[in-house]
Amino acid sequence: MNEFSQQIAADLPQDGKPRPEWVRALRDGAADQFRAHGLPTRKDEAWKYTGLGALELRGTRLAIEEEASQSSFAAAVIEVEHQVRMLDGRMLELAGGLPAGVTLLSLDEAIKNDVTGNGVTGLQDMLESLPASKAKQLSSDGFSFLNTATLENGIVVHVAAGADGGRFLLNWSTTEGDARLFNSRVCVILEAGARLELLEQFESANANTSNANTNNVVFQAELGEGASLQHVRLQQESHDAGLITRTEVIQKAESEYAYYGFDLGGGLVRHDLHCSLVGTAAKASLNGAYLLDGSRHVDNHAKVDHMATDGFSEQYFRGVAGDSGKAVFNTAVYVHPGADGTEAKQSNANILLSRRAEIDTKPELEIYADEVIASHGATVGQLDEQAIFYLRSRGLNEEQARMILTTAFCQSVSDKLTDRKLSEAISQRMMDVMPQAQG
Amino acid sequence: MLKITNLHAKVAGKEILKGLNLEVNGGEIHAIMGPNGAGKSTLGNVLAGREGYEVTQGEITFNGKNLLELEPEERACEGIFLAFQYPVEIPGVNNTYFLRAALNAQRKYRGEPELDSVSFLRLVREKLNVLHIGDELLHRAVNEGFSGGEKKRNEIFQMAVLEPMLAILDETDSGLDIDALKTVAEGVNRLRSPDRGMIVITHYQRLLDYIVPDKVHVLADGKLAATGGAELALKLEEEGYAWLEDGGIGSITNENAAPAEAP
Repeated sequence: MNEFSQQIAADLPQDGKPRPEWVRALRDGAADQFRAHGLPTRKDEAWKYTGLGALELRGTRLAIEEEASQSSFAAAVIEVEHQVRMLDGRMLELAGGLPAGVTLLSLDEAIKNDVTGNGVTGLQDMLESLPASKAKQLSSDGFSFLNTATLENGIVVHVAAGADGGRFLLNWSTTEGDARLFNSRVCVILEAGARLELLEQFESANANTSNANTNNVVFQAELGEGASLQHVRLQQESHDAGLITRTEVIQKAESEYAYYGFDLGGGLVRHDLHCSLVGTAAKASLNGAYLLDGSRHVDNHAKVDHMATDGFSEQYFRGVAGDSGKAVFNTAVYVHPGADGTEAKQSNANILLSRRAEIDTKPELEIYADEVIASHGATVGQLDEQAIFYLRSRGLNEEQARMILTTAFCQSVSDKLTDRKLSEAISQRMMDVMPQAQG
Repeated sequence: MLKITNLHAKVAGKEILKGLNLEVNGGEIHAIMGPNGAGKSTLGNVLAGREGYEVTQGEITFNGKNLLELEPEERACEGIFLAFQYPVEIPGVNNTYFLRAALNAQRKYRGEPELDSVSFLRLVREKLNVLHIGDELLHRAVNEGFSGGEKKRNEIFQMAVLEPMLAILDETDSGLDIDALKTVAEGVNRLRSPDRGMIVITHYQRLLDYIVPDKVHVLADGKLAATGGAELALKLEEEGYAWLEDGGIGSITNENAAPAEAP
């Protein structure tokens, strides 16, 4: 275990708070694992291309519990009726009230309610069942262990059977100051036939000042039969900030999960996105765009486990890297024995705008079932010179031509959003940060 | 308007144009015909400024300016338009958005005010009406999934909106059936004007049944081997290009053995 991990382990607080026994056991167990294995290193296969040097270099320390001295938030990317403000991993407030059938609580409140018997159905099971990533080295799961070892902050959303929860915005911000690591847990439970749209925005309130904090968020969702979750994530953190997230989605029969992720900022970003299709005819659609400039690093690992019949999954990711930006993309599909009739599509295309930029993309596909339709493609290339000439021959200069082509390339992701207002707002954000081409 | 003097050009190190002279004035339509590999498309690409086409000798002036010193977009803004032989598909870029950006870039260059989306749409509808083209191509990505005929019509539509001074049609008839050919030719004829010059590059005479040229030139082995009126095209139709070699003008002996033109 390296010095950085040891420092974080040493910062793990001595816990004197009253908690239910199962929570204490969960926290202690994870703390032991973390002390034994630490954070991932490049020796872990899943972290081969992503080192944590940037966090260490900034002197990142584990945040210990304290009240924030100030709180400021970026303006919401679009107007949303129900908005939850998350500061330093803690739920601050909910604006806009709750639609019928929706329960929304801070995590510690939800756990307290659990003690009195008014808890959210399924919460304990969910928290206790965060699956291991099955990596060979346990350090691969270091951030998850750390997250569970400090389990306290976060949010729980429950939508009752058949209810339409509408759209919620989780607006994440951190208090500016020394580089700190904040842990938070999001739990989303949709009962059968329930529906919810979650829009997450990770953005520093003040775009002009540097913010070297890191959020470590574990997002768990369970979709009951026929439930539907649309999950949109806009990440436009400061260039010094870190964001480590893990999304675990369990899908029962005929449920639908749709993810649209936009990585437009952040210095060190890692997202592990994992769907388990445990019920028949479940559908997972994972889409994302990542735009890199400066020396930013964005690593997305997307994986779908098809564990039941007739499932459908698609992964559609587009990346653009300029300057000395570095993107890592790993897309995996695993079709388990018995998951007959599965259809799985994977598509990842990337454009390099500079010689110093780097993109590492790796598709993985393992099939152990029959009647499976699967396709995958991963490309890294430059802009089409024929297309550039065509645009120039009509009067657009080279810079405009390149901008139009890279924007269109990324818009193919935002265009998939059916809400035109949202897709246009995100498309505009992408245009604003589009990296420039250079030699 | 356009004056080409002793033009020599290389593609991939191979000399394709070998001393071409041509002058086009406003209101004139010039047809350039010739066998495959004679350098017809090279001429179009040199005029538009495509990379990889190296001019080794000679000069081209356009309205008195040295064209060879201009970037492709500057040439477009000066009023040169190339209708591509193979229009490029650009997924994700909306045709209307692209055309408005292009028109406004040209207007800006000329010091004219840019058009807002309302005025632009009005202009576009007017042009579509004149050309008898439906508006479905406005909503699609540039050339993406277009049939051959749709791509060529889109080129003519762009030309109508951009209103160039000199239009170069590079084998616009290739790959078109007779109905599409007529539509395209009709579009071109509607754009004929006393101020506008046109160069129609074609391999076959049939396009010239519908677009009647003022002059017909035969390009062979990188030079104009013959020039005449519209009747020259008919002679070519009857006799093919073989008479060129019989007359000892060209050195091309076999179309298949002719050097392939760069795309």
